[in-house]
Amino acid sequence: MLPISYAIRNLLRDPGRLLQKVGGAGIVVFLVFAAGAFNQGMHRILSASGSPQNVILLGAGSEESVERSEVPIQAETLAAAGIQDITTRLGVSAVSGEVHYMAEVIFPTGHKAQALLRGVTPTAFEVHRSVRILKGKYPKPGEVLVGKLAHHNLGVSAEMLSPGQTIKFEGQSFTVAGIFTAPGTVMESELWFDRNDLMTLTQREQLSCVVVRLESPESYASADLFSKQRLDLELSAIRESDYYAKLSAFYAPIRTMTWLTAALIAAGAIFGGLNMQYAAFASRIRELATLQAIGYSRPAIYLSLVEESLLATLLGTLLAVAMVLIFLEGQTLNFSMGVFRLTLSGEIALAGLLTGLLLGIIGSITPAIRCLGTSLPSALRS
Amino acid sequence: MTVFNPPTSSDPHGKEVFIRCRNVSKSYRKGKTIVTPLEALDLDVGRGEFLALMGPSGSGKTTLLNLIAGIDSPTTGELWVDKQNLASLKRGQLTAWRAKHCGYIFQLYHLVPILTAFENVELPLLLDRSLSRKERHSKVAAALDLVGLANRADHRPTELSGGQEQRVAIARAIVTNPGLLVADEPTGDLDRKSATQVLDLLREFSSEYRKTIVMVTHDAVAANAAQRTLHLEKGQLVEQVQITTSEPTEV
Repeated sequence: MLPISYAIRNLLRDPGRLLQKVGGAGIVVFLVFAAGAFNQGMHRILSASGSPQNVILLGAGSEESVERSEVPIQAETLAAAGIQDITTRLGVSAVSGEVHYMAEVIFPTGHKAQALLRGVTPTAFEVHRSVRILKGKYPKPGEVLVGKLAHHNLGVSAEMLSPGQTIKFEGQSFTVAGIFTAPGTVMESELWFDRNDLMTLTQREQLSCVVVRLESPESYASADLFSKQRLDLELSAIRESDYYAKLSAFYAPIRTMTWLTAALIAAGAIFGGLNMQYAAFASRIRELATLQAIGYSRPAIYLSLVEESLLATLLGTLLAVAMVLIFLEGQTLNFSMGVFRLTLSGEIALAGLLTGLLLGIIGSITPAIRCLGTSLPSALRS
Repeated sequence: MTVFNPPTSSDPHGKEVFIRCRNVSKSYRKGKTIVTPLEALDLDVGRGEFLALMGPSGSGKTTLLNLIAGIDSPTTGELWVDKQNLASLKRGQLTAWRAKHCGYIFQLYHLVPILTAFENVELPLLLDRSLSRKERHSKVAAALDLVGLANRADHRPTELSGGQEQRVAIARAIVTNPGLLVADEPTGDLDRKSATQVLDLLREFSSEYRKTIVMVTHDAVAANAAQRTLHLEKGQLVEQVQITTSEPTEV
């Protein structure tokens, strides 16, 4: 076995080439981190947004989009009475009739942005248990409760959506009453209004959906039976977790594209790296032959060359980790459903590390085999 | 095919035979033609003998040297070095054999440029797991001392003259205390003064340490340093010159 110091010193033999290799590997691994963080962030927010204990009663035929759904307003009270195993707290049944609406809001600065609005009653907090008011209070008519990350989605500063600020919707001014959090869910980028306000302004007489919180996910059958028995209401019951899983599937092509892009760039980097590595090894054919003449076996020299390449790509991986921590970690990204954070999870770190290892191994084995394939007498004379 | 025994007899000059080639040929394909640089060669070299191989380019000198050093394998014939028939060894076994029994000195030194003189000399010793770090360092220091470069241990090859580089290469070749030293034009790239130093060292290893040395050279003056000179032409031995004096020849 050649000492590891031999591989380390070989790395420093050509600083320009080392820089190229480390930089190339760093960029590829960074892309893998970015693709992983993007996919995982989007998947997580959609997964976390739906609870298996919650059932959404939507208008039949509108199962794909709650915004297009219409549910008779009396469905809320009928569901509370007709569905078994509904969670209750302090005598209040966890049944929340809601209006979901995508519309433009206008800020005092004149800035306009599309926002996801939700008209709720106080029972919404019984159904969406992760929601907590961070600042301020529950909104009265003429007020609005804003999600912690809504400002990202709307492209304004956090101050512009802090309590006391105003926004305009359908010509009417609303004061921000408070800020809520619902960690890791799409709700954090929504604006919650008093339901009556929203219904009046949008001239709706029907709800978008009724969300029911059950004692356990197994009680879904009761909600499903209710929707099938009450044909007059034209309802369809769907688990909240299934609803968001379907949405997640809707975004699957985008996620596949990001992985595909990262994979194609990685493949390009491997082919480019193969050439660069071959040039690096080829310039040392005689030295490698000398090592064989001294008594080092070919496998020992292969191993040293792979070590050398791995050291460079692992340095690149470290560089990528540093770039992720500086430029990516904690950044928020908008998509039509809301806002999600990019984070470097254990799985993504492992994927990046594996990419670095693969770049190092695949990028060096073929050039090493080619360079050590020359017959020893010829290599000694090269 | 004739099967020969290990060289236990004495050669015609009364020395114990250390290298014995019998009917050794080497052929290889070059494009569409088969080239035979060595053909049915017989040769005995005594233990502790210093042998020079001369001949025009393409006469098979380096091919023979590579066969004796276990760098290459003969196509036919038997090649014994001490008690080992190298023709019967596979590539991996030849590599292991070289590590223990043969030191190779190249015309262009072939030092690893990123390592110091000390580290270059230490390279062959790293293959011997039984040696402690202290033992290795002691052997390297002794080898460098023997070639007169103890004070250059920390220098890299680029900081040494050609003659010094070749002496480091010699230290690397002898550090494992092999019975056989092979040298491919070891003075070919040196000035006369450095060449003399190198040849003096080789003579010393042969006469004082009983190392068997086979040296390829184009230089008749260098060949004079050897005890015997063989001339090859078209893969055949054509002439041999015996130097009777054991004293170093004026170079």
